[in-house]
Amino acid sequence: MYNILSLVFKYVFIVIIYLFIFSIIKLIYLDIKGIRPISFDNSTYLKLINRKESLPFKIKEYYPLDDNIFLGRGNDNEIVIKDPYISKKHLRIVKDEDDYFLEDLKSANGTYVNGQRVMDVLKLNNGDRITVGQVEFIFVNRG
Amino acid sequence: MLNKGINYRLPRNLLFVFEMMALFLMFMYYRSTLDKSTIIYGLSLIFIVYVSNLILSKIVSGDNYLFLIVTMLASIGIIMIYRINHEQGIKQIIWISIGIVLFFVTYFVVKRFKGWENLFIYYLSASIFLFVATLILGKRFRGAVNWISIGGISFQPTEIIKILAILMIASYYTNYDKFKKKKWGNYYLIGIMYLFVFFLFIQRDLGSVLIFCSLFLALQYIYNENRKLVFANLVVLIFSGLLGFAIFPHVKIRFETWINPWKYIDTIGYQITQSLFAISEGGFFGTGLGLGHPDFIPEVSKDFIFSAICEEMGILAGIGVIMLFMILVYRGFKISINQKNKFFRIAALGISILFGIQSFIIFGGVINMIPLTGITIPFVSYGGSSMLSSFIALGILQVASEELDIEED
Amino acid sequence: MEKEIKRIIAVLIGICILFVSLVVYLTYFQVFRANAVRNNSYNKRLWINEEKILRGSIIDRNGRILAYSEYNGETYSRVYNYGNLYSHIIGYSYRDYGKSNLELHYNNVLLNISDSSALNELKNLVEPNSEGNTLKLTIDHHLQEYSRNLLKGKKGAIVAMNPSTGEIYAMVSLPDFNPVTLREEWSNIVEDEDSPLLNRAISGLYQPGSTFKVVTATALLENDVSLGEYKCTGTTIIDGYPLKDYDGKGHGTIDLEGALVYSCNPYFAEAGIELGIDKLSETAEKFMLNKEIPFDLPVKKSSFPNKGNIGKTDIAAASIGQGKVLVTPLNMALIASGIANKGDIMKPVLVKEVISKNGKVIDSFEAEVISRATDIFTANELKNMMVDVVNIGTGKNARIRNIRVAGKTGTAENPSGNDHAWFIGFAPAEDPKIAIAVILEEEGSTGGQKAAPIAKNIMVEALNTINN
Repeated sequence: MYNILSLVFKYVFIVIIYLFIFSIIKLIYLDIKGIRPISFDNSTYLKLINRKESLPFKIKEYYPLDDNIFLGRGNDNEIVIKDPYISKKHLRIVKDEDDYFLEDLKSANGTYVNGQRVMDVLKLNNGDRITVGQVEFIFVNRG
Repeated sequence: MLNKGINYRLPRNLLFVFEMMALFLMFMYYRSTLDKSTIIYGLSLIFIVYVSNLILSKIVSGDNYLFLIVTMLASIGIIMIYRINHEQGIKQIIWISIGIVLFFVTYFVVKRFKGWENLFIYYLSASIFLFVATLILGKRFRGAVNWISIGGISFQPTEIIKILAILMIASYYTNYDKFKKKKWGNYYLIGIMYLFVFFLFIQRDLGSVLIFCSLFLALQYIYNENRKLVFANLVVLIFSGLLGFAIFPHVKIRFETWINPWKYIDTIGYQITQSLFAISEGGFFGTGLGLGHPDFIPEVSKDFIFSAICEEMGILAGIGVIMLFMILVYRGFKISINQKNKFFRIAALGISILFGIQSFIIFGGVINMIPLTGITIPFVSYGGSSMLSSFIALGILQVASEELDIEED
Repeated sequence: MEKEIKRIIAVLIGICILFVSLVVYLTYFQVFRANAVRNNSYNKRLWINEEKILRGSIIDRNGRILAYSEYNGETYSRVYNYGNLYSHIIGYSYRDYGKSNLELHYNNVLLNISDSSALNELKNLVEPNSEGNTLKLTIDHHLQEYSRNLLKGKKGAIVAMNPSTGEIYAMVSLPDFNPVTLREEWSNIVEDEDSPLLNRAISGLYQPGSTFKVVTATALLENDVSLGEYKCTGTTIIDGYPLKDYDGKGHGTIDLEGALVYSCNPYFAEAGIELGIDKLSETAEKFMLNKEIPFDLPVKKSSFPNKGNIGKTDIAAASIGQGKVLVTPLNMALIASGIANKGDIMKPVLVKEVISKNGKVIDSFEAEVISRATDIFTANELKNMMVDVVNIGTGKNARIRNIRVAGKTGTAENPSGNDHAWFIGFAPAEDPKIAIAVILEEEGSTGGQKAAPIAKNIMVEALNTINN
């Protein structure tokens, strides 16, 4: 009785092990694919102008942008910057067709593009300087 | 985000099914001698594994595959060990459980505290302390001195030293600029490497010698700027290897047994030939759990568990195990490449290389592709020290898979 | 940064290559080496089943029991009815001495352990294994006994077979040993200088001497090489070295047939040189030299020199079956069979049928051609020449009344001792029923004198008693 069981099981075990391996490989593959649109050489991103070391909070040099990005102090934003001068939900950048638009979400200290305060929605152009709180970015859009 | 959740479910559930089936089979196998405790142990392990995988996928922002792969490996190992020896099986379940706990503990501790890269001196002194302790207190076991017994608990210091060494190298290269300024700073690491190898050689732990050398060389190759030095190192190591072969009989005999184990079949070649018999018995799908005779191999639960797997679960299962390790190593390397924090980058690299080289050496040894050395298969072989240190290393790797800050002080 | 990543990837690739090589090696091992590795007496798995299974018997072609297992209350033990007679065919199966010959190579069949194909395993579970299968050999016990008696006291081998089916009727190798008293005699057996454990018929390599001229003659006929009106003076000079006939007297004017009938060395030496080593080698290989001979027991490969620097003296020596030519007696029997069987060499067979414990024949051999050594016309010409060898030539001692016998004698010079005496042949020539090869190791006399009479007697016995 046991022998029959063991015999049948041995084939099943092999099948399971390989299914397992393939599902992991598939996961990894999907993961890699998923990363690409947001990869380093993506054509649209925010680049930090300040010196990183001069800022008293954690910040990255590059923030890739996709269709809909929220920036703020809160953890639920795509871009989180713990700058006390930045509001919890400070601004939003959306992509419409091939253009990117910046919207200030009624932040306390405002958002400035090329020195001008953004009142509601503004179209972004390649090379625009965006200032929020103590942070200054340059908007890069090569594509 | 939703997509991620669904995809992880498949391997997690497959693992669950696998373990349940195995438990059932083991229950049937031991039905005459079984007691309730085994079922409890078995179910507990399955529960722990399932829950851990579940928790990980929810909480941790880094890589989840690592733990999945490792638990599958551990499951395959545990099935085999349990089938061979009931008591060892239960002990192994306990080790795995403690290992998983240690994994989480390591993860949180390493993540929480900063400054790991500055503890070079501590890593170094701890390693040397352990080496010396082994020499003084150590017990010889099958030719190699690598066990210490303190108050009833025995463990292998080499397992701990492996991790310390990786952290040491990582901290060295992270703070390379500081070391460079010191006199001879450039050569610290190489000196330490030779020192460690020397200790291991005295202990007659040839397998560990191989591991440490490969580890040092690989990391040096990647990180040492003085290319000539790296090359010189390689040459010296090869040369001393050949020298060792010529001078020391215990090196020579390993080689001779490797080339023609049949000549020494009733002496030193007994183990490896029994291993080959087991492997050739199973065919591609194996004889079936409990239907083969892996117990003919002496000390099968430790180094030769792979042969047992090939005998009863088939060459395909053996290949599956190899593939799982390959994926694990690949994942570790990917993590390291993506990690911007230099210390954790090197640590991840070191750990991946460790897993890769160690498993390759022992797999190659038991199938007689390379000479046999007495080291364990991470996560699969029976043994507390090996299991715990592997899980600790995995914990560090898990931390390295997340986004960390680059600390400048 | 870039360099670092490149190096990291390099190390990664290195490790992956290591792993892939593991997989490749494992697969290679399983496919090509596993079976050979398993059949080792140190492999306890071979024995695990012994204790529970009644090992099958081994019987001759007429059903006579040669070896069987009996239960003595605790375990099974093996009984060999005829001691020495089958030591080199059946071999032995003992826990502490392992297994040899058919007991080893047919171990799985004798224990009815089949390969682990799923269907077989399932069958096994439904009907658990308790008894092995019986091997019915092609051997004729009477002939085997008769042959061994003729060889008694000497060293050598005899192979007698059916040229059209490949069935081996008798295979004798002396000295031999007694499997019944193996334990007691083990150290004597192992230390005996004459190697009683060696099966000379399939593992002994000898220079064939003049019996090889049959192969050379075939090559000469096929390639239309002839020395025309050749004058044999008993000696010829090749590259400065003299090559002589056995008695050095000279045969006078002689053609190919005459050279074969009277075994003229100079003729064959010169004809061989004219033919060239390549053509000669080609024919030799068609006669299974340099080739693996498929058989129920492992056969040593015969060798014919065809690589490297081959000078004229080498070709001359090879043409007369000396020099670097080495053959097994089985190979010579196959050569005789090939010529007897219209040029086709059949696969030699020892195991005729496998019979299950229920009496059902579950496997029986099928006659198979392993080499078309030559065409039917050349074979016929050779056959006629070989009949003359026996009628009027060096093989007169093999004559049988009222039956045309074909044969060839050989007296091989042995560099390390006395000459070997050879005889190969078959009968009756028109419709051959038996082919034979006899070698008397270091006999010191000619094949015609000593080997031919033995061959004759065995052939007579075979023709009289074997009719199935």
